[in-house]
Amino acid sequence: MPPRAPAPSAASAFDFASLVRRHQAMVFSIAWHLLRDRAVAEELAQDVFLSLHQHLAEMESAEHVLFWLRRVTSNRALDVARRRQRRPMVSLESAPEPVAVTPTGDPLLGTALKKLVAALPEKARAIVVLRYQEDLDPAEIARVLGIPVGTVKSQLQRALALLREKLSRVVGQASGPVPGKE
Amino acid sequence: MASFEDELRSALRRREPPQDFTERVLARVAAAPVRSATRMSQPWVRWVAAIAAALLLAVGSLEYRHYQGERAKSQILLAVRIAGGKLNKAQKKVQMVTHRSNS
Repeated sequence: MPPRAPAPSAASAFDFASLVRRHQAMVFSIAWHLLRDRAVAEELAQDVFLSLHQHLAEMESAEHVLFWLRRVTSNRALDVARRRQRRPMVSLESAPEPVAVTPTGDPLLGTALKKLVAALPEKARAIVVLRYQEDLDPAEIARVLGIPVGTVKSQLQRALALLREKLSRVVGQASGPVPGKE
Repeated sequence: MASFEDELRSALRRREPPQDFTERVLARVAAAPVRSATRMSQPWVRWVAAIAAALLLAVGSLEYRHYQGERAKSQILLAVRIAGGKLNKAQKKVQMVTHRSNS
């Protein structure tokens, strides 16, 4: 579960610099996982924080800030992804990998999964990223993306089935059974 | 062995942006023009503006209806005046004809 921000009582209590430090990994990572382009993700993350600074007076609580950042980042990243309408400009193999906070899991499997997630349709990718990066439940994802909960659930199920199937084809034969399918 | 979802969670874990990210954001904030519309962003100001706009529309609509009524009234009066004139003329002619036939 990602760390939750403590709740300041009023908008005036927000220290912008500490807000940036607290949420920068979350904002940058959503953009990075949706766009697979470090430079674009960084620029988008900066734009999101600039926008937050302009709307700081409207923020009512720490939860409001967190929700606002997730929603704005996801929507902007989806807009960029739709505008580009093509796969990442730099291949995953040649792209520099951002610094990992806590490297866990199988690195080969992880790389394959990242590739497969990057190949999902934009909306499904956003749902998967919000589910597994941010640990949000379908209702929270629906609120962030402004879509029905049913759509989130069905798209998530379809995306997971697709990822499992493709992963078993990519690494299943080489390294044995896919985790969770034994 | 970790489950498929744990592997996904691990692959999609948060990543830190470059170390000078915060400083760059703060520099951009400092360089950005100050928004003068902060007062407008207050919810109560937006409500007052919306109510004022609705009132203005309502008053404008009433005024327009009043103007249309006045215009229709003057057109009816003009029509009545023209019709009256014509009736007068016809009446005079009828009187003349009656007077001639009597004499």
